[in-house]
Formats: sequence, C-alpha cells, structure tokens
Amino acid sequence: MPSRLRAPLHSGSCSSGGSLPASASLCGRRRPRSYNFRQPGRTHAQARAAAAAAAAAAAAPEVSCAMAVLWGRGAARFGRGLWPCGRPGLPAEEGTLGGLCGPRRSSSASPREDRRKDWGHVELLEVLQARVRQLQAESVSEVTVNRVDVARLPEHGSGDGGCQPPTKVQPGAQGTPSGLFVQWAKRLDKDKQIQQKRRQRLEKQLQKRAQNPGFSTDAKRLHVEPRLLSKQLTTCLQGCTQEVAESPWEEQLAQVLQEAPRKLSLDKKLGQRLKTRFANRQQKILAFLKCCLLTGHQSLAHHLLVTHHSRGRSQELLTLDMYNTVMLGWAQQGAFRELLYVFIMVKDAGFSPDLVSYAAALQCMGRQDQDVATIKRCLEQMSQEGLKLQEIFTAVPLCKEERAAVLRAVLKAKPTFKLPERPLSPVNNSKLLRDVYAKDGPVSYPKLHLPLDTLWDLFKQQLRVELASTVCVKSVEKPVAQSKEVRRAALQALPAQGESFMGLARDLGARTFSRHEVQRQQFSGQVEALKRHYRQYLHLLAADTEVPEPYLPRQYWEALGVSEPPQEQPWPLPVQVELGRLLAEILVQATKMPSNLAKPRNSSRLVPLLYHVYSFRNVYQIGFLKPHPAYVQLLATAAEPTVTFEAVDVPMLCPPLPWTSPHTGAFLLNPTKLMRAVDGTMHHQRLLENCPPAALHGALDTLTQLGNCAWRVNGRVLDLVLELFQDKGCPKLSVPAPPSEVAAPHEAPLPSSTGLVDKAELRRELARSLKESREMHSLRADALYRLSLADHLRNCVFWLPHNMDFRGRTYPCPPHFNHLGNDLARALLEFAQGCPLGPHGLDWLKIHVVNLTGLKKREPLQVRHAFAEEVMDDILDSADNPMTGRKWWMGSEEPWQTLACCMEIAKAVRTSDPAAYISHLPVHQDGSCNGLQHYAALGRDSVGAASVNLEPSDVPQDVYSDVAAQVEVFRRQDARRGSRVAQVLEGFVTRKVVKQTVMTVVYGVTRFGGRLQIEKRLREMSDFPQEFLWDASHYLVRQVFKSLQEMFSGSRAIQHWLTESARLISHMGSAVEWVTPLGIPIIQPYHQEVKVKQGGRGLQSVSYSVNADSSLKPNKLKQRNGFPPNFIHSLDSTHMMLTALHCYREGLTFVSVHDCFWTHAAHVPIMNQVCREQFVRLHSQPILQELSSFLVSRFCCSSRPQKLSQRLDDSKLRETLLAVPKPGAFDLERVKHSTFFFS
Amino acid sequence: MWIPVAGLPPRLTLSSLVGAGRFCFLGAGAATRKPLQARNRRGLSDSAPQLCPDPDFRKSPSRVKSKSTLDFSRYITSRRLAETMAQLVRGKEKKPSHLFLECNPGPGILTQALLEVGAKVVALESDKTFLPHLESLGKNLDGKLRVIYCDFFRMDPKGTGAIKPPAMASQDLFQTLGLEVVPWKAGIPLKVIGALPIRSERKILWKLIHNLYSCTSIYKYGRIELNVLIYEKEFQKLMADPGNPDLYQVLSVLWQVACDIKVLHKELLEPSQEKLYFIQITPYRNLFTDNLTPMSYQVFIHMVKHCFGKRKCRLIDHLRSLTPLDAKDILRQIGKKKEDKVTNLYPQDFKQLFETIQSSKDYAYKWLYDDRLEGRYND
Repeated sequence: MPSRLRAPLHSGSCSSGGSLPASASLCGRRRPRSYNFRQPGRTHAQARAAAAAAAAAAAAPEVSCAMAVLWGRGAARFGRGLWPCGRPGLPAEEGTLGGLCGPRRSSSASPREDRRKDWGHVELLEVLQARVRQLQAESVSEVTVNRVDVARLPEHGSGDGGCQPPTKVQPGAQGTPSGLFVQWAKRLDKDKQIQQKRRQRLEKQLQKRAQNPGFSTDAKRLHVEPRLLSKQLTTCLQGCTQEVAESPWEEQLAQVLQEAPRKLSLDKKLGQRLKTRFANRQQKILAFLKCCLLTGHQSLAHHLLVTHHSRGRSQELLTLDMYNTVMLGWAQQGAFRELLYVFIMVKDAGFSPDLVSYAAALQCMGRQDQDVATIKRCLEQMSQEGLKLQEIFTAVPLCKEERAAVLRAVLKAKPTFKLPERPLSPVNNSKLLRDVYAKDGPVSYPKLHLPLDTLWDLFKQQLRVELASTVCVKSVEKPVAQSKEVRRAALQALPAQGESFMGLARDLGARTFSRHEVQRQQFSGQVEALKRHYRQYLHLLAADTEVPEPYLPRQYWEALGVSEPPQEQPWPLPVQVELGRLLAEILVQATKMPSNLAKPRNSSRLVPLLYHVYSFRNVYQIGFLKPHPAYVQLLATAAEPTVTFEAVDVPMLCPPLPWTSPHTGAFLLNPTKLMRAVDGTMHHQRLLENCPPAALHGALDTLTQLGNCAWRVNGRVLDLVLELFQDKGCPKLSVPAPPSEVAAPHEAPLPSSTGLVDKAELRRELARSLKESREMHSLRADALYRLSLADHLRNCVFWLPHNMDFRGRTYPCPPHFNHLGNDLARALLEFAQGCPLGPHGLDWLKIHVVNLTGLKKREPLQVRHAFAEEVMDDILDSADNPMTGRKWWMGSEEPWQTLACCMEIAKAVRTSDPAAYISHLPVHQDGSCNGLQHYAALGRDSVGAASVNLEPSDVPQDVYSDVAAQVEVFRRQDARRGSRVAQVLEGFVTRKVVKQTVMTVVYGVTRFGGRLQIEKRLREMSDFPQEFLWDASHYLVRQVFKSLQEMFSGSRAIQHWLTESARLISHMGSAVEWVTPLGIPIIQPYHQEVKVKQGGRGLQSVSYSVNADSSLKPNKLKQRNGFPPNFIHSLDSTHMMLTALHCYREGLTFVSVHDCFWTHAAHVPIMNQVCREQFVRLHSQPILQELSSFLVSRFCCSSRPQKLSQRLDDSKLRETLLAVPKPGAFDLERVKHSTFFFS
Repeated sequence: MWIPVAGLPPRLTLSSLVGAGRFCFLGAGAATRKPLQARNRRGLSDSAPQLCPDPDFRKSPSRVKSKSTLDFSRYITSRRLAETMAQLVRGKEKKPSHLFLECNPGPGILTQALLEVGAKVVALESDKTFLPHLESLGKNLDGKLRVIYCDFFRMDPKGTGAIKPPAMASQDLFQTLGLEVVPWKAGIPLKVIGALPIRSERKILWKLIHNLYSCTSIYKYGRIELNVLIYEKEFQKLMADPGNPDLYQVLSVLWQVACDIKVLHKELLEPSQEKLYFIQITPYRNLFTDNLTPMSYQVFIHMVKHCFGKRKCRLIDHLRSLTPLDAKDILRQIGKKKEDKVTNLYPQDFKQLFETIQSSKDYAYKWLYDDRLEGRYND
C-alpha cells in the first residue's frame, strides 16, 4: 500500500520543486525504480526503524544526548527521500546528499548505489515523515529544534564545508494527484493493466477516505484499517467502517469471531519452515513493535502491522505474538476500535486468538467499561475456542494494573468469578535431590547476619545503582595534580589504540538493551512491585526476623506469589548490532574537540574526536574507531579520578534476587541469563524454557545460594596491595607496575647522521617497547579496576550473583572483582559473616596456610599441621611485618592468600580462646585432579582411583608423579632397546614435565597440544640438549598417553566411547545434547561458522560470524573433541551443586571455584563429609546408562529412515550408544573414607 | 614449455627434461629421484634431440598428486634462454663485476651460462638433490662458483623458533660470503638472479618490499638488484598506474616508488602462450628522504593500503581517516583536486602526499595510524 501514501508526497514535492510538468515527468521516470528496489530495502528500513525506536526508548544519559541527532537524521534522510523526484538538481549531487554523514557515508558506496538504496527506504521514510508531521502537529517546537540541529551540523569533521544542501523538511502539502497518475500510467505501458487496477483501487480508497472523515488526519497517514485477505471478513469490516458512528464496535467483534474461517492448521508445515527462515526478521519486527509501544507509538506499530498484513508475502512474517503485542498496546490505551481491527486481522491471518489476545481484549473492555453483553460474548467465544478463563490469570504474564482491568471486565459479566488459587509449584523429586527437598528431618538454612532494616537500606542503594545504570568508583591510581582545563571525559573507556568498530557496535547495542530493559520495568510499574516483594523476601534472610517454616529462598519467593513479570526476549543480534552501529556512527559525528588545545576555546576550529580507520591483518581489513592522539594525551595527563562501571559489572549491595526461572534472578532490574552464552545464542534458553520447571530447581537453588553468600573486603591486605600498586608495583606478587616503570620508548629526534640500518633497528625497538608497554597497560588497567572496586566496597557487605555456563559450571556475574580471580583477587575477599573457629578450626587454618604455600603437597595432614607449628614464627612475622619482616609469605605459591591466612592465624592465636575467635577467612578444599577423579569413578578404575585419591591412603597420592614414574618405566625399556631419544631423556622425565599434559588430558588435550606443553617444559630446562626438543617432546607425549591408557583403562574407554558417540551424532547433523544427573539440559554450542554481513551503508559494513545458532550444521570436530570434557564438566558441576545444596541444608556458608570448595574453618569437616557422600551418591547412579538411553531416544530415529545411508548411520549410532563401556572393580564406598579426596 | 615432471614415467623423464623447453617444473618430491639427476647431467645442452611438445603431457602425469604439488620450483632448462639472460645481466661490461646470487638454479643451466660470461656466482639451491651436480659445475673455476644449501625465498623467516635449513638468516649468509654492508647511497652490492616461485609471486613480492622499505634482511646490505623472471599477469600489476586502474594496486605503488623496474627480455611460453618477463629491479638511490625512512615506512605502507581499501573513493575522504590534519589543505599542497580519486594518483604522488603530511610542521599529531594495530609484517 505504499502507493497510496506516496501520491500526496510526490505531489507535495512537485509543487515545491518548480513547474509541474517537468517534475512530474521526472517522477514518472523514477517511479518504477522505486518499485524495483522497495523489496530488498525493506529489512534495512525495519532495522533502522527498530534501532531508532529502540534508541528512543533507551533515554539513558549518553543516548539521550544523541537523540536530537538521531531524529535529526531521520528527518534529513526523509528529506532526501523527497528530493530526487522533485528537485531538478544534478544527478551527481544527489549522492552527496547523504544527510549528515556526507562524504564519509558516500564513501562506502558509489553515489548511484547509495541513491538506489535510499529509494528502498522511501517507504519507511514516509512512515517517519508521517510521524514527524504528527509530531509537528503536536509540538511544533520540538521538530523545528531538531531541524535546526540538522542544518547546523557541519558536514564533516575537518570542517571543510562541502556542498551539502540544506536538508529542510518539506511539509507534505496535499495536492490533486490525478494528473500525475495519468502520466505515470503512460510511462508504464508494460504494466498498464496492473497499474490501472492499482490506480482504481487507490482512487476508490481515496474516495472512501474523503467520505469518511471519522479518522483523524494523522491516522490517515499511518494505516489503521486493515486490508484483509478473506472476502468474508472484508465485507464484515466494511460493515464496521460504514457504521462507524452509530453501531457499537463490540457487536462486530462477536460477529467477526463467529464468521471467521479457521485457517490455523492449513500451513503448519509451511509455518515451521518459515519459522526458521524468517526467525531473524520476525524478531526484528517484534522488537520494533515492542519498542513502539514503550515509546507510545502505538499507531506506528499498528501501521506496520497493517502494511505487512495486507501484503501476502510479508504477511507470512507476522506471528500471533506480533498481533498480540499491538493488541496489548491498544488495550493499555483502552482503544477498542483499533484493537478490534487487530483482532480481525488475527482471524484473517488464520491464527486463532490465544489467551494473550483475549486477555488484551478483556483488559481493554475493562478499561473502557464496556457493557455486559459484549464482554459476555467475548467470554463465550473464548470458551468456544477451548480456552479457560482461569488461565488468563495464571498463564498470562500481566502486571498488577492489567490484571485489575481484566478482572473488572470479567466480574462485570460473571459476578461470581473467583480468582484461581496459585497452583503449588511442583517439587523436584529426582533421586539425587530427594533429600534436599524433603520436608522432614533437621533443616537449618543459614541466615544472614544483618537485620532487616539494614538489608532494606542496602536494597534501596542497589536499586538506585541499577536505575542509574552506571557506578562511578574512585580510582586508586595515585592522583596527579589536575589542570583546570581538563574536563570530565565521557569516552575514557576507549583505549588509546582504538576499538574495533564491530566490537563497539555490539557493546553499545547490548548496553542499550539493558538500559531499555531497566526503563521498561520502571515504566510498567514493576519496580514498585519488586520493592514490595523484596521487602517480604528479606524476612527469610534477615537476622532478626522469623518465617514460619524453613524455606529455600526460591521456594519462599514463589510462595510470596510473585507473578512472573512479562518476559522480555533480548533483541536479536542483528538488531543490537545495527543499533550499536548507528550509535557508534553518531558518536563519531557528534564528538568534537578543538584542533589546538593550547589555544583558547573559541579560536581554534573543531576537529572530530573519533576517527574511523582501518587496520590490515593479513587479508582482513578491520574497521577501528580511534580517538585523536591529542585527546589520548589529554586523558593521560588528566588522570581521571574516577572509573565508571556498568551496574552489572559491580558486585551487588544487597542479596541478589533468587533464581526462579531461566530469565529471572540475580540483578534487580538488569536482565541476566541463567546460562551464559555467546551473544545471539538462543538454543540454551529455549532448552531451559522447555524443560519442566521442577527439573531446574537444583540448579536454580544452587545459584541462588552461591549468590546469597555475603562478602567483604579484607582491608589489611587491600592496604598493602594499594601501597605497592601506587608505588612501583611488584610483578612478582602480581601487582603490575605503573606505565612509568616501563622503559619509555626512545622518542628523541635522531641525529641526521643516523644510518638507514640503524633507523630500521630503532623502529623495531620502538615497536617492541610500544607493544610491551601496551601489555603492561592492560595488566595495569585490569588491576586498577579490581582494586578500585575493592576500595569502593571496602566498608560494605556485598554479594556476587551467580549464573552458569552451558555445562552447568557456576560463575559470579560481576567480572572484575570476584572470588574466581587470581591469587590477589581471592586474598582480597573474605566472608562477611563470621563463624567461631570451634575446637578444630584453628588446625584447619594452619593446614590451609600450608596448603597455600604448596610446600607439603605429598605429606599427610598431621605433617602439614606440624609444619605450620614449626614455621609459626614466620607466620606471625609475616602477619605483623608483611613488607619489612622476613617475608616468608612471599615465597609461597599463592602469596597473597597465604598472607591473609597468616594474619587470620595470628589474630586467632593471640586471643584468649582461639575456639571462640570469629573467623571470616574461607578455607579451601581442593579436588586433586578432579576431572580424572570423575573419570576414575565412572570407569571404576582401581589403579587410577588410587592415584587420584579415591582410595583411602595415609599419604596423598600424586597422579602426576605416578604418570611420570610410568613414563620412566617405558623410557627405560626403550633406552635399553637403543632408542636415541629415550637415552637422551634420561633424568628428564619428571613430574613437572608431564603435569600439565596429564591435567589437561581430561579436558581433551590432543597429542599436538600435549607436545607443545611438554616442549615448553623441556625448553625451560637449561641442561636439556635443545636440538632434541622436537623428538623428545614427541616421544614423551606418546608415552604420557600410553601411561594414562595403562593406568586409567576404564576412563580411556569411556573417553573413547564419548568421542565416538559425539562423532556419529554430529555426523547425523545434530549437536550433542544431554541432561545432567541434576536435570539441566545441555547442548554443545559448536556449529559451523556462518559469516553474517550486515549492510554496507554507513561508516562501514559490519560482518560477524555466528557459530552458535542451533539451526546451523554442527562443527563436527568441535562436537567430537568437546563432548568428553564437557560431559565431565557437567558431572563436576553436578557434584558441586549437590554438595552446595546439602551444605546449605546443614546451615553452612559454601562457595566454590569449580572443584575447589570454600567454607568457614569450623565447618570444613562437615563440608568434607558432605562432599564425599555426594560424590558417592552421584556416581552410584547409572550415569552412563542414563546418558546412553537419553542419546538413543534423542538421536536415533524411531521410524525407519528412507535412505539406506541414513539407515546405516542410524544403526551404527544405536550400536555405539548401546555399547556402554563396562566398569572396573573399584568399590565406590571407599571414597567416603579417603582423606585426600578433597584436601 | 612447462613440463610437470612430477609424475612422468621414468623413460620419458630424460628427454622431456632436456629438450622440450626452456623451463621445467620440479616438485620437490619428484626431484629427489636419484636416477633423474644422474642422467640430467648428460643432457644439458640444446643440441640434444628434442621431443615434440605433446599437448597431453600436462594432463597425463597430473593425476599423480604428490604432496609437493604446491611448492613447485621453476627451473630454467633452455640453454638459449640461459645464455640470453646471462648476456643481459652482463650488460656492456666485458666481465660482470658484481657478484651474482642465483636462486634455485636447479639443473644449473643458467649457472653455467653465467659462469661462461665470466661472472662470479653463488648458487643458492633449496633442493639437496641438485647440490652435488651444482658443485661439480664449479670445479676447475677456482672459486668462481659457490654452492650453498639455502632457499633465497625463505630468507629470514618469521617466528622465533630455530631456523631450519634450507631457510636461512641473511646475516649468516652474508657472513659466510664475507660481504660487508654497502651504504644505500653507494652502488649495488650484488645482483640476485632467478625466477620467482611460481605460486607465491605475490607473497614474495610483499615480503621483499617490506624488507626493502625497512632496510632489513638482504636489503640491510645495500641496494640489491633483482633480476627475476615473472609472469606477465603479475608483471602488469606491478607496473600498473592510473592508466590501467583495474590492475593498479598497493604493490604497484610500493614497488614503483621504491625501485626502477626495467624489462630486459620477454619470453613466450609455447603451449600456453603465456608471457614471461625478465625484469631488473633496482632500488632507487634516493628512495629514502628525511621523511620517508625505515622508521616511518610503515605509515606510508598503511596509507597506501588504506587508500586502496576503498579505491573508488575520493582521496580527500581517505585523508580524513588517515590524519587529523586538514585534508583540503594537504590536497592543495600536493596540487590535487577535491574530486581526485585514489586511482588517479601516480605512485610518486603517494610518496609526495606522504611526505607532505609527514613534514607538516604545525601539528603535533600527523597520523592516526598506530604501529600496534598492525599484525603481520610488524616485527
């Protein structure tokens, strides 16, 4: 239907463009072109519109400043859309008309192309234009201001004017289009008939419009009336339109509903196909519609829906969701007539309205206070469709106010209607978790040590932070005297060497989305509801309140009857990237600085601050945004005293929201994924959503619990670190040195006599030192972030919300400062909640300190304890004079944690009663080669189990030494046989050489990688003959694999079985999926990469590769190599979760770094016991059998496949899957008595 | 004619190698065949009976795919061509005064021709098979020929690992030859003669040009002259300028700015009608100036690359992404118009443009380019 819109536009521009006949002929010539290019341009137009709307939605500070430009641009482009047909200008100049971006934009495409592309946008431009006009009508001032902005913005940075014609918005004056059409028809004699038909239709519609003054002039431009495909409905609709004034609309609704043909089932198959093909475009449209509603552009959303609906092709794109979204928008406004239009369209499109549609209708009726009969009819219709009224209140996510409106409508029709009871959430009753959720038995869930009011204040603080979206943290960098001219810099995040355009665009897009999410929740009143619920929720956690019966946080939250807020899908990647790109472009255009900073502000001309440059890497050409070097200099001298973080990058100030579903939990407002994944990956989320809610309880509760652990900063350690950091750093203790410490590159002007060769040498030297200083800088920045955050949180209690990766391993969400970091980061953290040491706590502290030093790895606990007593003097000295004393702690493997532990011990032994000393220090218990432990348990390997400490033993076994010994045996044999390499290696086969390879073999290291690891170790040995490096490493890696094969025969069989299964599954064309024993569905996100290229307009085209989409073909190699380690990881995460849940039931504070479990010193024995029990329970399950049967049911065809090759593949797969390796003879129960299983 | 010898039946090998053409390909794997080399020695002259070029020659053996199919070397087997080349490089001198480094002489036909005109030759052969034969050529010539196991085109490889022969460090090579560094402005220290490896002409050209601008590797020792055989296609690209904008590219600019390129001889390959050029590439004495130095050459290369990244754009648009200076002002200084496109600029114009920006006095920051952004040739 664009022709209908275009007509007045053209005539408008004609009248302004000069003599009518000339311009009309121009029009005529160009017109077919616009038709040709309209279709492909469509998606771009939508994306742009979505971006525009989204940017409008996210009125975050830095975005809002760009808004004027954005709208200005919109107007400019729309102006451009008008120009070519009316303006008798030179064709060559049209290209340069590219709005604001001028030459740089047109540099991406030749002018002609550019213009063509723009024709594709005309359609959307019209929409925008209409909107602009609408806005003009509403508030003239706003638009004019924007227009001025546009005109004033210089064409490009260097300020050399260019020939940009004023892009003035042409008011679309109304004119008579008939003369124009006659000419048009003549020109297109080929399409004459079609055109005539079109014209007739157009005229008819124009007539109709003229007859029907019921619509406002604004609504005329945006389509309101749908054009329907079904004739039956059309007549019905016409009935509606004619009777507009007198007949009540609602009667029509019922009529429509009854008359509507049911078409839903007709193309189910087709729908499926389209779903995958158009998924992206659909998401774009949906995102656009939602943003429209949020910004109050209901009519625009409606228009889009109508235009799409009326065209057969694009109608296929529309989903019921989209109709529902628009309906909901109208319902919120109480616009019943428009809602009805959409309802008719739904029917017309062959969808059957679902609960959401009816909820919208009822809500609208509730708001409009419709008469009883209508509502009744509606309800009747609903029951005819087989939908239950109750479900509207249980299954449809509605906010409180919406619920009230629906209820009002329903009560009017059915005064006796009662709200349904909330169904009890189902309880997980898997074998492993039965104990955790058992209602009987002793339960003492831990409480926080803070009273309710404190927690409530903390919550309010956190809410403020999240609403503000960013946190400014005082930098711990030594302050430099500030010059006055220096202003606050907004772009400090951009590194001096620039940022890749693509990365920036992605980042901006993602940030805009989270801002948008926060705002959406604010507007829709969810923040208020959250406050209410959270306060109640705190009663469970606070120290001074009681709840009637023990609840897990999730259970309690659910019991509070918190209705799930409507779920918001993140914008699809293309939309985010497109939006980010737009914002980045605006950033480039909008930021300016004086060309000469020394001169006074007004006298020097402005130059752009950001430049778009290219870098060349091999064959690739990568676009970068690079700040002006003078600006970098300025920033460096300014030494910005604050560091700004996104709200989600900072630990939370109050307990995180409990995880209740795959998309709600952790941060209060910012959306967080339960399962972290590469951007644009949908299948994890889909899997999680599709699995029964109870199946996820284990994971949800573990994550909630890990997040609920309160932390505080170890102030004394922080002080020491800061001292070092602000002084000269100490790379040995992983405190990076300041840039001033790095030898500054030699920049002095060279004497003219310097020879060319020397110059070349110098250049290389310079490049090397630049590279070095850049590496230093990034290390320094990393430490700066961490320490600044630590300093910021120094006197606070804070929380680290957790989520998990696709294998179920848990991670804290805030990236810079958490307990997963290096030694330094871990030493800075301690439990905020103290716990008295108790009778054995001190001993555990002592053992812990020895563990951290790494000195007595192969000694039993008593020896470690005795050693601690022995070096007690050193320990106390370290604690008292860390920097000036004997510095015993610095020689440790983990120096900072050792120091923290020394301090804790010193404090404890100096109290009168160490048992009563309240300790905050986490004590770790580490699994010894945890991956191999799981393998050995799976395969019940006796030898292997003993070497990884599954078997009780007096001294800890060391698998690396065992392997080294085994390798040595083989080596000696070979040496005797005369192998040269084996002879050379005499005396070099040590634990150290094989350790890394053994450790990583579980995680799928190949011979290739293993050889490199060993080569590195051998290279480090100065006395090893270097010419044998390659041969020796090659030989050794084979021996290591052979030894492992010998020792872990069962494990290797399992590894092989897993690899083979994965190979066959991926060969059949699917990604490997499985379910952990705890019920978490897992899919390996390795697919063949597909390069997605997004439009070549703007500064540059962006392309990125997607490899995580499940609709792509799997990457066979990665699927195959990844399965064994990922499966083992899913097992170790299961073990951790089970331990966590049981510890929680015992009232323990528990956190984990994968296979390293942390708790208070007093509770180590309990944790150790739980940990062993759960390991045994986990492996008592028929894990491999269950995996096998799951894989068979998932990947083997139930029916006989058609093709022979498929049939062969299928039977081969089935055969392989069913051949589960036989376990060995190891008795699992013995793990319970093994001291060094975790130690 | 080009003869793939890789899979020839042994009976055919000799005759086809000897007589059929001026060159042959030898896969590395094929060349290790012992009998081949032994017989080779006998039939090196053109006077041997010639076999008619068989059009099917190329197809039949190509079925045999050895893993070495990818690194063919190009050997000169035509006596006549070798003699022509030797004459050409000798020039007007009676006895060539320069030392010749011959890359991959293979059967040594060119080597012999060079020796015959009285040149001192160092043969750098990367295929061990040919070494004994080459050494035998130098007998009784009291040191006029030196044979070194070395691959000229893999001189100074990237990476940190030990250099495995036949790759070699230029430093070691020049040390063994006892050659001193000759200042750039002085004469030509030595001449390199040979054929560019057939499949990696571009790669080699890139490597050489980087070495040239940075005065590293062989160019550390002075303005080394190259006398190489190159395919017509690559040659045309090398010599392209705004006259033929479709072929004009970064390499053309860089080489033409740096070197004087002369065509010495053209050779037509019979079955394929492809042309082979024997060209002489001499670096300009005045290539380096106050502004373009081995210190700043990276910026120059980046500038040219950037411009050819969007070659149809106007120069002024590129300038804005290259330098914070006033683009119009620069254009005025080099006497170009605003509408001028990248492909309208001659190679020397690029140099002038670079120097203009580099020498601008008023600005502290002349370039937006950052050494550290680049990946490959950044050592």
